[in-house]
Amino acid sequence: MQTSERPGPEAEAAARDAHAADRPAPCAEDAGPGDGSATAELEDRWRRSLADLDNLRKRYGREVSRERAAERDRVAEAFLPVLDNIDLALRHAESDPAAIVEGVRAIRDQALAVLARLGYPRQEEAGVPFDPARHEVVALVPGGDAEDAPAPGWVVDVVRPGYGDPDRQLRPASVTVARDRDS
Amino acid sequence: MARAVGIDLGTTNSVIAAYEGGESTVIPNAEGARTTPSVVAFTENGERLVGQLARRQAILNPKGTIYSVKRFIGRKFEEVEEEASQVTYDVVPDEHGNARIKIRDKLYAPEEISAMILRKLADDAGRNLGEKVTEAVITVPAYFNDAQRTATKDAGKIAGLEVLRIINEPTAAALAYGMDKKNHETVLVFDLGGGTFDVSILDVGDGVVEVRSTAGDTHLGGDDFDRRIVDYLAEDFQRENGIDLRKDAQALQRLFEASEKAKVELSSVTQTQVNLPFITADANGPKHLTATLMRSTFEQITADLVERTNGPVKQAMADAKVSADDIDEVILVGGSTRIPAVQNLVRRLTGGAEPNMTVNPDEVVAVGAGIQAGVLKGDVGDVLLLDVTPLSLGVETQGGVMTRVVDRNTTIPVRRSETFSTATDNQPAVDVVVLQGERERAADNRVLGRFQLTNIRPAPRGEPQIEVTYDVDANGILNVTARDKDTGAEQGITISETSNLDQSEVDRMVQEAERNRSTDQALRQEIDARNELDALAYQVQRRLEELGDSAPPHERARAEMLVADAHQAVSEQAPIDRVRELTGELQGVLGGLRAVSPGTSGADGDGAVGGGQGAGARTGADSGADSGADDADVIDAEFDRG
Repeated sequence: MQTSERPGPEAEAAARDAHAADRPAPCAEDAGPGDGSATAELEDRWRRSLADLDNLRKRYGREVSRERAAERDRVAEAFLPVLDNIDLALRHAESDPAAIVEGVRAIRDQALAVLARLGYPRQEEAGVPFDPARHEVVALVPGGDAEDAPAPGWVVDVVRPGYGDPDRQLRPASVTVARDRDS
Repeated sequence: MARAVGIDLGTTNSVIAAYEGGESTVIPNAEGARTTPSVVAFTENGERLVGQLARRQAILNPKGTIYSVKRFIGRKFEEVEEEASQVTYDVVPDEHGNARIKIRDKLYAPEEISAMILRKLADDAGRNLGEKVTEAVITVPAYFNDAQRTATKDAGKIAGLEVLRIINEPTAAALAYGMDKKNHETVLVFDLGGGTFDVSILDVGDGVVEVRSTAGDTHLGGDDFDRRIVDYLAEDFQRENGIDLRKDAQALQRLFEASEKAKVELSSVTQTQVNLPFITADANGPKHLTATLMRSTFEQITADLVERTNGPVKQAMADAKVSADDIDEVILVGGSTRIPAVQNLVRRLTGGAEPNMTVNPDEVVAVGAGIQAGVLKGDVGDVLLLDVTPLSLGVETQGGVMTRVVDRNTTIPVRRSETFSTATDNQPAVDVVVLQGERERAADNRVLGRFQLTNIRPAPRGEPQIEVTYDVDANGILNVTARDKDTGAEQGITISETSNLDQSEVDRMVQEAERNRSTDQALRQEIDARNELDALAYQVQRRLEELGDSAPPHERARAEMLVADAHQAVSEQAPIDRVRELTGELQGVLGGLRAVSPGTSGADGDGAVGGGQGAGARTGADSGADSGADDADVIDAEFDRG
């Protein structure tokens, strides 16, 4: 192992220049006649910038992973009370069905509240024009003959609700759409 | 400045990647998805939809929703009559016999449809990157003929893109793995996507990639595997309940979703639950579907699908005149290659070669196209190979531990500084011991060099500020300097062999550190606790000196006893519980002593909040001692016994 002790500030500058001259070929290639140290310094600065960028990128990658895990924890945690209540409902499985259903309904409302709090309100409006930004067609059905029946191309029924507004959508509502009257 | 991108224009899905900062990364679309369905829809009211939105209204608009248009691009109608009969929209010949898509009495060339997909990809990516996308590398299957390639290029033009190059999909996959940089090798690319299967044999090396042969099956993909599970579950349910779920659109959709999820799960676990409560109802009430699907069952019901890849692989190898032993590398492309049965077959057919899967198989073609785009734009140079420090670099500090200054795997060149201080009062010099390694104890690491910084002005411990800078240059040469911020005096050392360790040596040291991690950490905690106790004892002592007679006698006695105990605990390396106990007690004592105002007689009570006389005043020495313990940047240096 080769080490060299450098004596002090004044001699240091000289030592640094000596080092620059000792540097291997790559810089010498780029340098024109007589501007060796200026180019070498620029190259050094450039490399340091690239290295800083690379280190920053690595750090960012680690942070992103951490943040992602933390967010996942938070969201999962928000649903635990819902699960707890479902367990409770099952403990009363032998009871009067009407009472159980009422309890299940309350749990459903609780789950909806969790999703709304997380930013995903429920989407289940029928009797509106079909909009691919909000809906996904599952089947075409007859609109029906009633006065206020949905027109062709309008949503008849929401088979499965969607969650989230179009700009922050978790999933679209699955709907049936009125087919043309003659088809 | 506009950005060049690489686009994988797939039959079922498309992906776009950009070359940025030395890496090719996939850009999500406006909906946040990394892949975009290759679907375009023309609605009743003249609206055009591309991607996920187009897929959602497919049932509503079968004649106006164009999917898998890649099957028709650059083809004559007579070449694709069979395909045309399998899609829900109308494919017709124009007056020259070219295949055209007929939508509401208007004829569209397939490249016009593809152009809409490309346009969405480019626009969304441009918004994401914050700059317009105007140039692209677009990939095509290796078996595409001239007409198909030209038509794809035209699609790019229609989309407003300058097509830098059309490259083959297997070639792009090879680029993603950097195989063009290798020496001469034979690569097999196995591409099992959503709807098509392609296998290619490539020759790579010396910056060139050459396609030797291709084969495939134009109607084999992940969707077929999903369908098998749907049928299996539906048939089972029908046997038990007499209802065919596939006849109910809503149940069928749930079944498909659940089947796809099950398929994906079975790639990582050997069995999964399919849970579809209230899937349907009959006269007796609601019915539920709960089934356990074992991986072995899944493999049974999809065995023939996997078998179908056998033929093309053998064909491609025969055409390229290579045997399983000649194949040096295998690349897996397409989500379905995640299926274990598929991977096993690939291994068998290629003589046991371990396939490359580290790049996301859904994205690898786009990533490779992105790299090609970067190369063509001159963004990729071979000067930019940056090294890293293989092992951490640091300094020996109080207690014989290593304090890291540069973490391992930091890209170089890099400069990092830490501020240290003295461990005893009036310490005249500091010993800088330069260490390399991952262990906590200095003695367990490698000493690269050492030097001294002398003539430090007499001062209480913890007060002098010694800035130690580690500078690793692009060649791995380490310059360590120590500078006394007070006097400006500086010393240094140059170590030129920090990175001459070979990889196995580095790995060994890292593994050793990993093995000893918990003991090392425990040791570190002990030493840190001891150092903290030592510093605290010192502060108490200083405070006692300051207060002189003002210190209440019984408090002084207690303090002195605790300080003695502390010194003993430190020198005897007492267990951590004892150390922490003493630390707690000394903290209490210090608090009490701080409350006492210097200059008052010792008769005053204990802990009384100082009244009028300058209780808040902190002497310079006091804050100096505090900064030794509290200032996170200042670390106690090695106690110099010289």
